[in-house]
Parts: sequence; C-alpha cells; structure tokens
Amino acid sequence: MESEKLYEITAYTENQVGLLSSVAGIFTRRSINIEKLLVYPSKIDGIHKFKILARTTEKNARAVVLQMEKRVDVVRAFYQEDNERSFREIVSVGRFLKERENNNKQQ
Amino acid sequence: MTDTPNGWMLKGSQILLESLINQGVDTIFGYPGGSIMPVYDALYDYTDRLRHILVRHEQGAIHAAQGYARVKNFPGTVIVTSGPGATNVITGVADAMIDSTPVVVIAGQVASAALGTDAFQETDLIGMTTPISKWAYQIRRPKDIAWAVARAYYIAASGRPGPVVLDFTKDAQIGLAEYVRKSCSFIRSYVPVPEPSGSSLAEAAAMIDAARKPFVVYGHGIILSGAEKELAAFLDKGNIPAGSTMLGLSALDSDSPHYTGMLGMHGSLASNVLTQECDLLIAVGMRFDDRVTGTVSTYARQAKVIHIDIDASEIGKNIPVDLGILGDAREVLSELTRRISAGVQRDWDGEKATCEAVEKKMVIDPEIHPSEGLIKPGEVIAAVAEACGGKAVVVTDVGQNQLFASRYSRFKQSRSMITSGGLGTMGFGLPAAIGAKVAAPERPVCLFVGDGGIQMTVQEFGTIMQEGIGVKIILLNNNWLGNVRQWQSLFFDGRYSFTRMLNPDFEKLASAYGITCVTLEDRAQMPAAIEQMLADDRPFILNVHVAEEDNVFPMIPPGKSVGEIMLNNKDWFVYGK
Repeated sequence: MESEKLYEITAYTENQVGLLSSVAGIFTRRSINIEKLLVYPSKIDGIHKFKILARTTEKNARAVVLQMEKRVDVVRAFYQEDNERSFREIVSVGRFLKERENNNKQQ
Repeated sequence: MTDTPNGWMLKGSQILLESLINQGVDTIFGYPGGSIMPVYDALYDYTDRLRHILVRHEQGAIHAAQGYARVKNFPGTVIVTSGPGATNVITGVADAMIDSTPVVVIAGQVASAALGTDAFQETDLIGMTTPISKWAYQIRRPKDIAWAVARAYYIAASGRPGPVVLDFTKDAQIGLAEYVRKSCSFIRSYVPVPEPSGSSLAEAAAMIDAARKPFVVYGHGIILSGAEKELAAFLDKGNIPAGSTMLGLSALDSDSPHYTGMLGMHGSLASNVLTQECDLLIAVGMRFDDRVTGTVSTYARQAKVIHIDIDASEIGKNIPVDLGILGDAREVLSELTRRISAGVQRDWDGEKATCEAVEKKMVIDPEIHPSEGLIKPGEVIAAVAEACGGKAVVVTDVGQNQLFASRYSRFKQSRSMITSGGLGTMGFGLPAAIGAKVAAPERPVCLFVGDGGIQMTVQEFGTIMQEGIGVKIILLNNNWLGNVRQWQSLFFDGRYSFTRMLNPDFEKLASAYGITCVTLEDRAQMPAAIEQMLADDRPFILNVHVAEEDNVFPMIPPGKSVGEIMLNNKDWFVYGK
C-alpha cells in the first residue's frame, strides 16, 4: 500500500455557480476527507483558486487532479506535498490561458 | 416576432427551439409537464422542422437519445419537465457519462423566484447531475439561452463526448429576449483534443517496431474519433492482432484477419490469451475497465504498455503504463502508421488459431449448433447475424442477452453495436433501439433483450405503436434474470434468490399495442420466423423460448486473471498450463 501524506491540491477555475460541489464531489467519490478548503479570487482576473488540504496517497492525489482538470470549468489543477511550496503555478496558469487565447485567435 | 438591430425579439421557449435548429437538431425525444409547458407550446409551431417523439417515461427518452446519438454521430436531444421528469432521466445521464455518449437534456425548472423554496416539482437537478454529467448549467435568463445551447452541444460532442444538462427555469422560457444565433467552438478552460507530443509518437513507433509480439486492445474511442480506417491501416502495416472492448465492437470488420474477438470477462479465448502472451500491449481509446482486465495485478504483467487516449485522467488510472500518448485516436493512429516500419517480422506463432479452435470446439459449437434440447440464445443471435449479413444495427439490453449478442453478432459497418457497457443499465435496450431506428431508418435494427430487461421499459411499446418505429425485438425469454442466475449457479451454490420470473403472455401484450409477435419454440421453425421478422419494416417481436439455464461462456470469474477462463460449467482453460 502506498502511504498517505498531506497534499495541497490547488485548482484554478472559472467563477461558476456549483463549482464547489463539483470539485468537492471528486474527493467524495474516492472517500478522501478534505482537511482544509479555501476558495478565493486568484491573481488572474476572473479566475478563482481552490486550495485544498487532504490526506491521501500520491496516486489518488494525481487522479483527483486529473479528474478536476477534466471538468469543463476547471482551468488547471496541481498537487504537491504540503511542505513544498510552489510559486510557479500562477505563472503556469497565466501562460496556459494566454496560449489558449492566442491559439483561438489564430484559428 | 419583432425585428431588432441584431436579430428578433422572441420568447425564451422560442429561442430554445431556434437555437436547437441552429445546432442542427431535427429530432427530440421528450415528455411534457408543468415546468416545460411554454417550450411545448412553442414546439406546436415547429413541427415542420423538429420531430418530437413522445415517449412513455422520461427514462425512455434519454435511452432513445443515446441510441440515436451512437448511431447518428450527433448529440441526442431530450426535453423533460422538472422534478420527477428530470429525476427520471438521471440513470440515462449516468449511462451516457460512463459510455461517453453525447446527449443534451433540457429540463424544465420552477421559476427562478421559487428556486430553493421546495416549490411544486422543484428539485436540485444541477446538484444531482453535476457528478454524472460533462456539464450541468441552469438557464435563468432568456438572453443566456442561445449561448448555453451552443455551448451545450459543443461540450457534449467534442473531445471525449458526454451528457450535458440544461436546467431551464420557467420564467426564462416565458421572458423575451433578442435572439441572435450563437455558435461555440472554444472555451478557454476546456481542452477537448490534446495534441500528442512528437517525442511520445517517436518513442511509440520505436517500441512497436522492436516488439516481437505486439497486441492492440481498442475501444469506443476508435468509433468516437472516427478512426476505423486508421485502425485497420495501422494493424495492416504493423501486422498486429487486435481485440475489442464491448463498446469498440463494430469498429473493425469482424472478418478482419487481425481481429481476435472481444476482450475480457466473456470475451474470446484468443483476445485474453494474447493479452497475457504479448510483449507490447497497445491500448487505444479504451479505459481498462475491470470487465476487461480481470484482476489488475496479473493483467499483462509481462508486457510493456502504451496507452493512447484523449482523456488524460484515464492514462495510468487502472493499469500502469510505460508510455502514455494523449490525443485523438484517429490522429495518433494515422501518425503511428506513418512512423512504424512495414513488414516487421513478428513472433506470433499460431496462438490465435489455436485459441480459436479450442473455443470453437468447447464453447461456440455447443452454443450455436446444438443438436437437441431447447433453442439456445447464442444460436438465435448467430442465425439473426447470418440473416442480416452484418447490415443490421445490433442493440442489446444488459445481461446474458448482451453478452451472447456481443459474442455472436458479426459487424461490417461501424456504429452498429449499441449497448450499455459501463453502467450496465437493464431497460436500456428497448428505448435505445427506438432511437437507433430513428437515426437509421434505412437499416434493420435488431434488439436482443431478455424477459427481465424488456419489462423495465416495456411501456415504450406505446412509443413504437404511436410512431410506427420498425424495430425488430428478439426476446430471449428464459423466465429468469439469466445473468444473475448464472452467477448464483456458479458462485453462490445455486441459491437462486429472487431470479425466477413469472412473465406475462408477451403475445397478448404485443397484441395490445398492435405489434406483431411470433413465439418460437421449435428450432426447425427458426429460419422461417427470422425471415418473416426481417421481411418488412414494421415492428416485430420474436418471442424465443430459450433454454432456461444456459450460461454464457467463456467466463473469467470475478477475482481471476484474464488467463483463467471457464469454458463451461466444469472445464477450465488456464493460460501457461
């Protein structure tokens, strides 16, 4: 059995009604208890950030992140061990959105 | 209708219908009720452009829409009312989600001022369908309708398809707004078709060229991406055998020399043995469902695994992979075919033929050519397949009828196998067959259904009667819930707990709906009965009294590896022994 650790899972989303239950439901399905949850506007205009602390295996953390990203209104999602702090995420989300908009303009 | 600078002022209900037409919708499966009445009132004036099929229960509407979508390659459209109308479609929404079927459900909702007050027929549909739909959205303003409908059809059909639910408040249906046509082909947070990386394609091509015993396992993704030709070309050039999941059936011609049959629990011996024998497993557009893999800890452990899928969350979900390729199956296969070498020598040494010979002798011949006793289900399916020559759309319910139909149907054309795979919804078959026939009126549509499953949605006989839908219903009638009985027989000491069915007189039931029904008990009468069934385009029920306690084999029992296969009630085939 893979050991459980505390993971910080972040998701950057559109600001849509019902997203909280949509995101929370992905944890519920796998019986992962959410220890902490914070939702607030990110530094990117119109994009919200979910910050979730949960104890689970890395396999589950990865699966949860991929299933979050699958939701239409979730832009990107990430996981990391609670003691790692990454400041690259916001840069990465900003770049992703810019690329998406550019691709769309080119088409 | 008043002209405005950009369009016309219309009621929300009219905007909905105009928007549906703008998306290319011409058929709706539905059922009216209080909260959707303004839409039905508007529909009264649109019957020249929209065909509305009145079902007998909302579950029938969504399964019909699923059958329609799967055959037509276009999202099925469902309109129902709020509350019970909406909750009655939930099984179908879950079914469409797990089987990647594009459907758009438009459900009435109480007026927005009454939301949250426990108003008559109010239910939190968004809350209920969010976990089982690709997108669920509540329309509360008439000016949002065109946008929401365009987005709904784009999301339902693009990438990995799925169901979309639009919860449509009554005030938004009644209110006026300017109607301006909308289309949608971009959502910034949504990447339906990821680009495969060049390096992963190069790596895959090298692995395929180096493999001595490569084996392809493919699924519904081939059909969804329209990659049937690309798959055949890839198998030809690489000289690679291939097995199909249940939902992948009909993507490849059943007579292809590369085809090894269905994978998994009731799949062919060859497909399961090749899985355990190959040195490279190439999975395309499939998700390693537990019915395919058996015990995952022993599944293809000897092989390297390449997994090609459009959905990143599928790669590595159930089976560890050596190489994942994200992308559309059609694009990836055509690129791989270009990159792999032709004429690579493989070390397959007659394993497929050996397995096929064992299966024919031990399983197939006793099932489809029995010399005595009651008619067997496999025998009926093989005879219908023979009579249809691969032209029919095969629809199944769930259970033994589905497993036998998957095993003994033959396919020449894609999108010809409509079944509820992931959710396993009994009652799916009859309404799905109605939808399939509406989508392909020129083709015979043959439904294989059990006496249990048909009674779950039997009310749709009324829809068949009213619309004159010429489905051919082959009722494999054994007076049991056959698949559960099979498991009780094999794994629960024959304790037949509540699986015996006392059935109605199906001839009388059919007669009440004006549907021709012929009961078949004698093997000698079977060819003539099938000929009569297929002779014209009218609905027909062939009520076949089949052997009561026939089991579907081969069978990989639950908890076993795909190499441990029951050939009948007492003989086993164990790979490597």
